[in-house]
Amino acid sequence: MTRISPETPAGAATAASAPWSIRLRDAVVRYPNGVVGLKKISLDIEAGEMVSIVGLSGSGKSSLIRTINGLVPLSSGTLEVGGHRMDLARGRELRRLRGQIGMIFQGFNLAGRTTVLNNVLVGRLAHTSVPRTLVGAYRQRDRQLAFEALDRVGMLERVYHRAAHLSGGQQQRVAIARALAQEPGIVLADEPVASLDPPTAHAVMGDLRRINRELGITVLVNLHLLDLARGYGTRLIGLRAGEIVYDGPAATATDADFERIYGRPIGDQDLLGGQSAAPTGTPA
Amino acid sequence: MTALNTAPRTVRSAPARAITPPAKPRRPWRTVITVAITLLVVLVFWSVKVDWARTANLPADIARYLWLMFSNPAWDRVPEALWQTWRSVEMAWVGCLLGIVISFPLSFLAARGIGPAPVRLALRGLFSLIRAVPEIVIAIVILSVTGLTPLTGALALAVNGIGTLGKWGYEAIEGVHPGPIEAVKAAGGSRWQTVRWGIWPQAAPEFVSFWLYRFEINVRASAVLGLIGVGGIGDMLTSYTQYREWPTVGALLIVVIIVTIAIDLTSGAIRRRITEGSKARDLA
Repeated sequence: MTRISPETPAGAATAASAPWSIRLRDAVVRYPNGVVGLKKISLDIEAGEMVSIVGLSGSGKSSLIRTINGLVPLSSGTLEVGGHRMDLARGRELRRLRGQIGMIFQGFNLAGRTTVLNNVLVGRLAHTSVPRTLVGAYRQRDRQLAFEALDRVGMLERVYHRAAHLSGGQQQRVAIARALAQEPGIVLADEPVASLDPPTAHAVMGDLRRINRELGITVLVNLHLLDLARGYGTRLIGLRAGEIVYDGPAATATDADFERIYGRPIGDQDLLGGQSAAPTGTPA
Repeated sequence: MTALNTAPRTVRSAPARAITPPAKPRRPWRTVITVAITLLVVLVFWSVKVDWARTANLPADIARYLWLMFSNPAWDRVPEALWQTWRSVEMAWVGCLLGIVISFPLSFLAARGIGPAPVRLALRGLFSLIRAVPEIVIAIVILSVTGLTPLTGALALAVNGIGTLGKWGYEAIEGVHPGPIEAVKAAGGSRWQTVRWGIWPQAAPEFVSFWLYRFEINVRASAVLGLIGVGGIGDMLTSYTQYREWPTVGALLIVVIIVTIAIDLTSGAIRRRITEGSKARDLA
């Protein structure tokens, strides 16, 4: 099921590392306030998959995504990412592993008052020494990776603009470039299009599908709109109250499946609409 | 428009329905505190022994001194006044720079999430302690070591500056958006990388603004510090007041006021440009 396209440009260094698989065994996440995010989840995701994770807010999909890069620690169970024990990693080792996992957020999480380039170079911090970081003296290769990542999402022209001056869709593309600059084995996206209008949402989802297909990177996307989940994912995982209630191919998931995941009838509010989500070319 | 016109009629024609608004919350402590503070203010007012008969002469006295000072200011003293003002501004500038250099790293260590708790609490205690002591008292203490020189004034301003700049600094750091910090962590950034590229780009304009504001404060405070004889325009002002050379005092006051206002306006304009100017452009 891996989709490393043979026509990946030779110059594009943004997939230097091989895609990573994810293995969760009996994973439990319990927050300090007693709330249970994940209830004994076991899950295998193969390298190169494009997975849509759906569920209502509070279903545990954010916990699942944040567990995979260690932003949320496991209370019990094990997590292997690319063959490395993420749940045991601490300090330098944890940062090294996180450096291989890109993350995209609903709110973009860019530092608005600095340039697009500086934001994308955040993706190179795991490979940059602290003295170099403090003065912003990145190596030429790291800058080159940042430029290539921006080029891939069509934002190279804005490289010296301030991030806050960009539109929401442009900011999310810069955030995708930041993740790509990491040369990641996995890209995690937590509700990446929930703050965007429908055409921009399709464009950003198209970008995520493209990095999965062209670079072969494993992509996990949290979504709550079922047409996006069906149209862009190859595999669909449904979460409800911290448990996996659906796991299967995305394209054939029926409305009844979604009603089981959501625990209520499906309505218009569960669809984004707009451009057809059929797997065609990416809009410019 | 129709909706607006019909709305009141609908309300009036609706059958009267018994509604029960929630009981007004009782706040007994608020009443107690209000009464206590009122009593305190009245008592303090009566306990202060003011010779009301003498205040009758006050307006006439003020007018007489204003006339002595400003009817015919000693303009020939202006060059010397300018020179002494320059010395005061130098004192303010050096004090500001020293304060910035020392407070800058300390404010990071004092911020929640960066410095360890004991260090944080110790630094916050130090900042409050310093702010509790006026510059002039600090100067009198330092005086015994460094003597009656402008350096004493600069050091006193620097020490006081550590208190205010340190507090403003850690408050600015704690007030930044958590999103970019999370993004740096997710990309494998270490603590100081997070500070540099998650926090600093957001807090930098506020820091620069605080530094300028502190310089404004120092310019005003340096004139006051002259009163204890550390040099500058305050020193000159004290001397001529003691000699009762009112025309000279008048000329000095004019110089001090104009220079202070000029510095305040310039620095204020730059600060506005830094903090609000960027926001105004973001909206565009």
